Amino acid sequence: MKAVDKDRLLDDLGKLVDDHIQSAVAVFQNMHSELLVKPAVNGGWSIAQCLEHLNRYGNYYIPLIRQGLARQKELTTGGTFKSGVIGAYFTRMMDPDKGKKKMRAFKEYIPGVELDGHAVVAEFIRQQEMLLTCIGWARRADLKGTRIPVSIMKWLKLRLGDVLQFVVMHDERHIRQAKRNCPMD
Amino acid sequence: MADALLQLRRLVDAVHPLSAEDWEVLSGIWTPFSAGRKEVLTTEGTMERYLYFVMEGVQRVYYFDDQDREATLVFTYAPSFGGVLDALLLQQPSRYFYETLTPSSFLRASYVELDRLMQARPGIAHMVRKGLTHALSGVLERLAELQCYTAEEKFNKVLQRSPHIFRLIPHKYIANYLGMDATNFSKLINKQRI
Repeated sequence: MKAVDKDRLLDDLGKLVDDHIQSAVAVFQNMHSELLVKPAVNGGWSIAQCLEHLNRYGNYYIPLIRQGLARQKELTTGGTFKSGVIGAYFTRMMDPDKGKKKMRAFKEYIPGVELDGHAVVAEFIRQQEMLLTCIGWARRADLKGTRIPVSIMKWLKLRLGDVLQFVVMHDERHIRQAKRNCPMD
Repeated sequence: MADALLQLRRLVDAVHPLSAEDWEVLSGIWTPFSAGRKEVLTTEGTMERYLYFVMEGVQRVYYFDDQDREATLVFTYAPSFGGVLDALLLQQPSRYFYETLTPSSFLRASYVELDRLMQARPGIAHMVRKGLTHALSGVLERLAELQCYTAEEKFNKVLQRSPHIFRLIPHKYIANYLGMDATNFSKLINKQRI
């Protein structure tokens, strides 16, 4: 794997998270709750289901990212980050521009249809604001220094920098899916 | 910077027009400053060192205590002044936080310089006093609304006064500003087309 500039990587991730907050704030939170839970025209997930799916992963990963950052005692600014082989594979798989293949979600991450749309959007925004704060803290952290177990394979632990990348890419994938459900007006 | 100062001048003139000389010294104490989303600019218990002039973005002044109680007191957005004004002018540790809710840009002036100009130039002191009086008027008006209005009336008032913030900041901050819970706020959103 090629080493990348840490600050540049965090800038890119921060920008994506900022865009996700922006979409939720400018569009999703102002929609009628009936539209938020309306299934996609192709029968796929509603906007609320897409965001609830992300919230469930966020519930798992964001506290671990936060704890991982808090545990780092020595602060390191600048430098580079090199993805692990598996970490890079996960990120590529989640990236909607690179991993085009449709994936089936794991059972515990498949949201039901009965959702409180506005509550789901509010929780999504809360988590994204926390994630953005974590990305800010990560500027002074070693992105290889902490390893976080993967939600669906706890025995597999990935570098903090890889977890940040695939979580944000996974968000991007489903935000695009949610946006496809927005009425064109 | 020139455009920013022009906007500041418009705001200052709307409060209390300054002589050319007063404006020249006042315009010299500001420096540009920017911050990303959700950055705390002033922390409770610390001194407020700056008066801000908001160019871009939305910010809030809020109370937060050790029992996790939170009260959003004021939103600031362009073109207006920002910061914890009581802490600034009394030079006492702030009882509140000032944070950005969206990426923001400002001009800011240090209290030391502002105070020096207020002492030396009656026109500037008068402008600051009038600006603060307008701010006090706004606070009193809001107190009356908080005590008398129904949830729906309070919601409609904000929607009428600041419709743009519904698309700029998370609704939880507006609900908190109005003292409403999320469920009631959501019902009102469903009634409106924002």
